[in-house]
Amino acid sequence: MLVDTSYPPPSLDGFNSPAHAAEGTPKPVHGRSLAAVALRQGSLAVFIGVLVYFSFAAPFFLSIGNIGNVLGQSAIAGVLAIGLTVVIIAGGSNVVTGGIDLSLAANMGLSAAVYASLVQAGYGDGLAVAGALGTGLLIGAVNAAAITLAGIVPLLATLAVMNIVAGLELVLTQNTVVPAATDFLSALSAAGPFGIPVLAFVLLGFTALAAGVVQYTPLGLRLYAVGEFPEAARAAGLRVKLFITGAFLASGLCGGFAGILSVSYLSGSTTGAGDMLLPVVVTALLGSVFSRRLLPTIGGTLLATLFVSFLINGFQLLNISSTLVSGVQGLLILLVVSATTLLQRKGNQ
Amino acid sequence: MAAPVNVDQEDEIVRLSGIVKRFGGAQALSGASLAVKRGTVHGLVGQNGAGKSTLIKLLAGLHQADEGQIEIDGIAYGALTPPQVEHLGIHFIHQDRLLVPTFTVGEALFLGREPRIAGTPFLDRKLMRQKSAEILDRYFGLRLPNSALIGDLTAAEKQIVQITRALLDGPKVLVFDEPTAALVRREAELLFGLIRRLRDEGITIHYISHYLSEIVDLCDTVTVLRNGRDVATLPVVGTSAKDIGTLMVNRDIAELYPKPQVSLGEPLLQLDRLALADRYADVSLTLHKGEVLGLTGLLGSGAKELVRTLFGLESPTAGTVTIHGETVLCPNPAAATAKRLALVPEDRRRDGVALDLSVTENITLASLDRFSRAGLLDRAVEKRQASALIERLQIKTDSADALVRTLSGGNQQKVAIAKWLSRQSEIYLLDEPSVGVDIAAKVEIYTLIGELAERGAGVIVLSSDIEELLGITDRVLVFFRGKISRDFISAETRPEQILAEVTGANETLRHAG
Repeated sequence: MLVDTSYPPPSLDGFNSPAHAAEGTPKPVHGRSLAAVALRQGSLAVFIGVLVYFSFAAPFFLSIGNIGNVLGQSAIAGVLAIGLTVVIIAGGSNVVTGGIDLSLAANMGLSAAVYASLVQAGYGDGLAVAGALGTGLLIGAVNAAAITLAGIVPLLATLAVMNIVAGLELVLTQNTVVPAATDFLSALSAAGPFGIPVLAFVLLGFTALAAGVVQYTPLGLRLYAVGEFPEAARAAGLRVKLFITGAFLASGLCGGFAGILSVSYLSGSTTGAGDMLLPVVVTALLGSVFSRRLLPTIGGTLLATLFVSFLINGFQLLNISSTLVSGVQGLLILLVVSATTLLQRKGNQ
Repeated sequence: MAAPVNVDQEDEIVRLSGIVKRFGGAQALSGASLAVKRGTVHGLVGQNGAGKSTLIKLLAGLHQADEGQIEIDGIAYGALTPPQVEHLGIHFIHQDRLLVPTFTVGEALFLGREPRIAGTPFLDRKLMRQKSAEILDRYFGLRLPNSALIGDLTAAEKQIVQITRALLDGPKVLVFDEPTAALVRREAELLFGLIRRLRDEGITIHYISHYLSEIVDLCDTVTVLRNGRDVATLPVVGTSAKDIGTLMVNRDIAELYPKPQVSLGEPLLQLDRLALADRYADVSLTLHKGEVLGLTGLLGSGAKELVRTLFGLESPTAGTVTIHGETVLCPNPAAATAKRLALVPEDRRRDGVALDLSVTENITLASLDRFSRAGLLDRAVEKRQASALIERLQIKTDSADALVRTLSGGNQQKVAIAKWLSRQSEIYLLDEPSVGVDIAAKVEIYTLIGELAERGAGVIVLSSDIEELLGITDRVLVFFRGKISRDFISAETRPEQILAEVTGANETLRHAG
């Protein structure tokens, strides 16, 4: 631009001029925020609506006993979904190129098998716990290496690792049930105070711990920065790959922990851990609709976990075929992902 | 032209001398020097390829020099790393605002150095909120709601947040790399006020820009780079944008606006009292064959919306559009294209070209039906047509099959125009056709616009570069608050007359004159 004339003298007063006040007040991009609010409020309304409907249709539904049961039954999926949430936060919420860990369910299966096998082989709970957590951590490390060192997108890297892990589980268990019974395991699966399962308390405690770290510490904030806008994180002096590695290690650890819970819940390791994948992915993706900024949060993931579990529980109480559950979950993924994707696209315009 | 400045050595906060940098076989810098005096606004200009960005990346520690020396505060450094540069008090305000869109202002400001609640590992969000509100208000008089997310802010506000981030570290030098690229003029003016204030507070500013008028307006001293060397360092007082421009190119600035004399033909496009809701009203104009018509106005003045309407992106709420004497309706771009209208949009990288398709594919994209036989593309014909246009427009590309992404900005723009040439469009709507390209490419684009007119097309150029508009058009229409406020004959108009009209006439004329 080669304008020879000078601009009108700029002055800081300009910031307070009425004209600027009008354009300066952050006008939330209307389409986006309205739709975002609608999505969030709508999801909460659907959640509450479902609860209300079930409690009328099946009076037992809202009893303390049933709620406790649902919480207990959600523990394994909840822990896995929290691990996945951490990965999605650190990798960004783009469904294709962002953070995802498809190996989580298989990880849980293998960790459980390791635990049960160690108990079978006569080792104590301490070593079995270490074995399960170590297995999870190792799987997380393989994922992290494939993604940060080899540069494979998480979707493909963890898909490959999922298959490897599922294969290892078959090798270890010969595709059979490995029973395991110890005092520790029975204590974990017993009923606690108020007749609510111990697993329910485990889920709540684990959620509180994860939420504390992710939502309330600088580490958590940085994790979001890394996922949402890696360049900005880099410009702020953060080592992006280190955070991504950390997120996959954390998610691997969640897989190992969920493995321990599942051994306790099922009194051993069973096949078919892979079936957990769909509900866990639904839960972690659904969770973001419960947050103001439409981001994945630990609290949102807990709500989503409970929503999915209550839905399944309600179906059972109403004697609706459980074969429908999987379809409903798939439908939820479609709805949530298309809603958030559309909103993101709008936001980028 | 003023004599080179003799800078007192002790007063130099940044000094790069005899810098040589090669990338493979290409010599990016061949002995460039730069000395920035403490407490001044120092401009750096040069065409694309002159070595500006290489020099800045060296200073940022992102590249290492092959030869030469970098001194900061009188201490020589062999190789710098980015953290080291930051530690020395040199901060960079990048062209793209590196802030997380889903963060609150407080979170974005404190990312990487978050305050904690004393004695806990937890974030002190309250403190972050209070401190960021206080700093933004004190420095910039900017008040934002606590809940405001970065993504909700205007480009200018984001830039303020980014400058504030740098200020939190108590910088000695702030380097602005093309900071106004995404700002409208008004926002840019606010930024200039801010930069002057920072300088008055003792911060040294290094300012890199394509816009010479900004340099003249803002800087105390300017260094001109050409072909990897510094060709001059001048005080800005007593130097005009033309002087600087002449130093940047090896050609006289008078040749910048080649405008062929074209006699106007029959009316091509006529608008009669066209209106669009609350955007503009009562717009009547006639575009003749061979005419280049300029439109300008502030953001929201209606000029841009008019162009969008003509191309079928908006539906007018009143009035008529006549093309070749026939009243037409263009409810969508496809209909507009069928009426042989062409739009070259402002954001060419997003809307104008497909970056990951080849030059040939881009050129033939809008007219594939002309290259198809029985539903299949005739690659040979496609190729011939593309090669002809590449040659005619002098598009600089390795081959016709090179991806458009690999081309320079000016050449991408030529591809965007070539796309419509191959469709034999008659009415060209060009939205900021020369934004973000270097001077040489600008001249080529201007020449191309002249050629379009000579071939009997009608061209409407929407631009905020007033001198450019006067240089390349026959008439300029100024939009102000949704109306055509005045109609100028380009050859008889001075830029300041248009500027006065654009900014709302007389009360601003006082400052501008």
